[in-house]
Amino acid sequence: MKTLTEVVTKSPSIYQPVPARIVSIEELTETEKLFTVALPGGLSLHHSPGQFLQISVLGIGEAPISISSSPSRSYGTFELCVRRVGDLTTALHNLKRGDIIGVRGPFGRGFPVGRLRGKDLIFVAGGLGLAPLRSLIYEVLDQRGNYGQLSVLYGSRCPSDLLFKDELAEWEKRDDMTLSITVDHPDETWFGEVGLVLNLFDDIYPNPRNAVAVVVGPPVMYPSVIERLLSLQIPEGSIWLSFERRMKCGVGRCGHCQLNHIYTCREGPSFSYSEIKDLEEAL
Amino acid sequence: MAQYERYIRPKVAFFDFTSCEGCQLTVLDSLQTSPELLDMIEIVEFREAMSERSNEYQIAFVEGSCTRPADEERLKTIRSTASLVIALGACAHLGGINAIKNLRPLPEVRADVYGDKADWYDTYAARPISAVIDIDGFIPGCPIDRDEFIRVVKMLLQGRQPIIPDHPLCIECKLKENVCLYLRGKICLGPIVRAGCGAICPTYGDGCEGCRGLITNPNLDSMKMVLEEHGLSFEEVEQKLSMFMAYQTAGIKSEAEGATS
Amino acid sequence: MSYKIMPKSALNDWVQHLRQKFTIVAPKPKHGQFVFGEVTDASEFALDYPSTVLPPKKYLVPTQEELLSYSLDGSHFEMRTEPVPTVVLGVHTCDLHGIKLLDRIFSQGYTDTHYKTRRNSLYLVSYECFEPCTEHSFCRSMGTLSATDTFDLHIINLGEDFAFEIGTQKGESLLEGFQSIFNVTEVDIERINTVHQEKWQRFPYRLDFDVTELAELLTNSYTSTYWDELGDICLGCGMCTQVCPTCYCFDIHDEVDLTLDGGHRVRTWDSCQIRMFATVAGGHNFRAEQAARQRHRFMRKGKYQEDAYGLVGCTGCGRCAQACLVDITPVKTFNELYKRRNNIAEKETEAK
Repeated sequence: MKTLTEVVTKSPSIYQPVPARIVSIEELTETEKLFTVALPGGLSLHHSPGQFLQISVLGIGEAPISISSSPSRSYGTFELCVRRVGDLTTALHNLKRGDIIGVRGPFGRGFPVGRLRGKDLIFVAGGLGLAPLRSLIYEVLDQRGNYGQLSVLYGSRCPSDLLFKDELAEWEKRDDMTLSITVDHPDETWFGEVGLVLNLFDDIYPNPRNAVAVVVGPPVMYPSVIERLLSLQIPEGSIWLSFERRMKCGVGRCGHCQLNHIYTCREGPSFSYSEIKDLEEAL
Repeated sequence: MAQYERYIRPKVAFFDFTSCEGCQLTVLDSLQTSPELLDMIEIVEFREAMSERSNEYQIAFVEGSCTRPADEERLKTIRSTASLVIALGACAHLGGINAIKNLRPLPEVRADVYGDKADWYDTYAARPISAVIDIDGFIPGCPIDRDEFIRVVKMLLQGRQPIIPDHPLCIECKLKENVCLYLRGKICLGPIVRAGCGAICPTYGDGCEGCRGLITNPNLDSMKMVLEEHGLSFEEVEQKLSMFMAYQTAGIKSEAEGATS
Repeated sequence: MSYKIMPKSALNDWVQHLRQKFTIVAPKPKHGQFVFGEVTDASEFALDYPSTVLPPKKYLVPTQEELLSYSLDGSHFEMRTEPVPTVVLGVHTCDLHGIKLLDRIFSQGYTDTHYKTRRNSLYLVSYECFEPCTEHSFCRSMGTLSATDTFDLHIINLGEDFAFEIGTQKGESLLEGFQSIFNVTEVDIERINTVHQEKWQRFPYRLDFDVTELAELLTNSYTSTYWDELGDICLGCGMCTQVCPTCYCFDIHDEVDLTLDGGHRVRTWDSCQIRMFATVAGGHNFRAEQAARQRHRFMRKGKYQEDAYGLVGCTGCGRCAQACLVDITPVKTFNELYKRRNNIAEKETEAK
């Protein structure tokens, strides 16, 4: 099967997107929607968890969006969890089932799936960070035997902001993973943890020699979570992060995503802490 | 990010307050150069161009600054009728040239303009319309840029919030490959003023006067230093910065002095 | 190295000869400075010119360029980069260095076909500099005062004649079929050697250290307070990056037709010096301070580009120095960082 990358790199211009159809839209929260998108003509996305796509709404523009679905569950479609936050994402939210979007990619270096094999996994998600992590969670769940323990720690602003609520409920029931959730601002429906995602670390006791952490969240979350992971003796090279940056090209040229000398779109968006800890513009 | 409705041939109205109506003339000009605009919008009120009026419109473009208490009522009516209100040009967007009067006590200004009939007029400190009502966007400039007007109309039709450049004019001026006016012994506010006009004044040899307003976070101290280094006195620098931007850079001094009637 | 000779008096005839096949651009006077622009006659341009407002990069990455046009339903895409074969006359050697770097940047990884297409149709005719072009240039310090490659033809002014150094077959083709082209004599070679030898002493070194130390200096100066001092005075106007021959960062935006059924994807020059450059849609700015933006610019010029592409990002052309209204210049910045680092080093030695 031909991959999207092959089509994009062989098209006359690397900036030319491939038209893809929205096959379903699910409203996850007031500001987030999950788009299921089908590529044309049996093209496969062939991505790895943590990679991103440049998504166009024709006539509006283009923006980088991380892929929420796992390669193990592609079925000829992929999923994008999109928060309505800017011009492009607002336009995306206005689209309907059947509408066409433009797709380029997948770009960047995803999470180090190979290095996670046999390891105990700690996934830490803050807010929309769950979107790219979901891709990795299913990658692990669908080949469960290849990995050790799986702990997912998820912090959200408030209960109504929780993403993938049905799936969270399913994950909670599973006995081959643990899921802990906390919210900053509880409401009357909330009986769970309250406070920062850091609180959720109190219940996990990773073996530092065999643990790998993958952390995705807003910039403000990283320093404290990294500090906690280091205090648990997790090695710097076993702490993985994913960065959000402005990206116009996706191929390491336009300059917007550069952190120090590194192009986030090309060398990242996922990095081990040891790779970026000395780069002031990273964290 | 605000989410706007997408429009199919919306009803559009133009209104004017204290202004020279030059921005509306530019709109008329753009209708002549791009008549297909009229297929995309239905103009229901436009005093410059037609005699019909309407109390029903989705998009209101407002030219001019608010300079009388009575203006506030009219602006509020427009706001309550229109789904979208867009400030059209420097007077509506910034207060504009009208706001120069804000730098002096109002009775003095009134006496200068209206002489012994000063009491007949209830004019007060000039302000941008955003000081009175919420606005959904603005088109800067004195007058507005024709292409930018069309660009904004297209964005509104698409249901987008209008995107107006917020980077300095120098960027645009260099894209035109203009020789910097400072190298030609002239003065220019380009480094602190919002681009988007195609650097029209510098292209024709005149320094930017700031009609599109300040960029966000301008380095005013450094700009003032440059202006003084190039021979402007402190007073001249202040004057330069208050031609279009008196409301932005100085606020309403006349009111602070309790000079309103 | 192969040379040809053309009498200077034949310049306009050569221009007319080239015009049969090519668009010719050359340095034209504009308000006391020069800009590269289309010419139809040798009287319209000067080969001995100080510098141009913008470097010739504008012919490779236009200030504004349509990448694609499309229909909004996604059924139709079209790339329309169809450049006219163009000869650029009078490229300074510093600008050659800039183009050499751009060539590497736009060909590594995913090829940029828009750049490549334009590059293939561009014929670079460079011109040997014999005097510093402006008070701001420091090409000697940056090692860009010589044409070693990248040019198709390189012109050396020999007084009555021009010598052409032929760099490529493309360059050779520019001389084909033109009558006033002569083979070099031994005397010509002697003259070429002499003018080259004599030129170096006219160009002062302006950096207080060797350029090979620059990357390391910047690495060690990353936390210098000097960046804050620059941040305080910098207007953030972005002129420095616009005029830089090796700045290529760009923005891409879409423009929709008035009828809302078609659109265009457009690439424009962008600048890391403006506030919004590293700001994401949610509003977080990853380079919020002007000091950090200036540092980023100098790190790119003096280190990052060299690390990534093997060529120093600063060509010493002096354009940014001339453009800056608050006198932030590479020479001043690099020398100041060097001085401060040495002061620190001295203090450390004394302390021991």
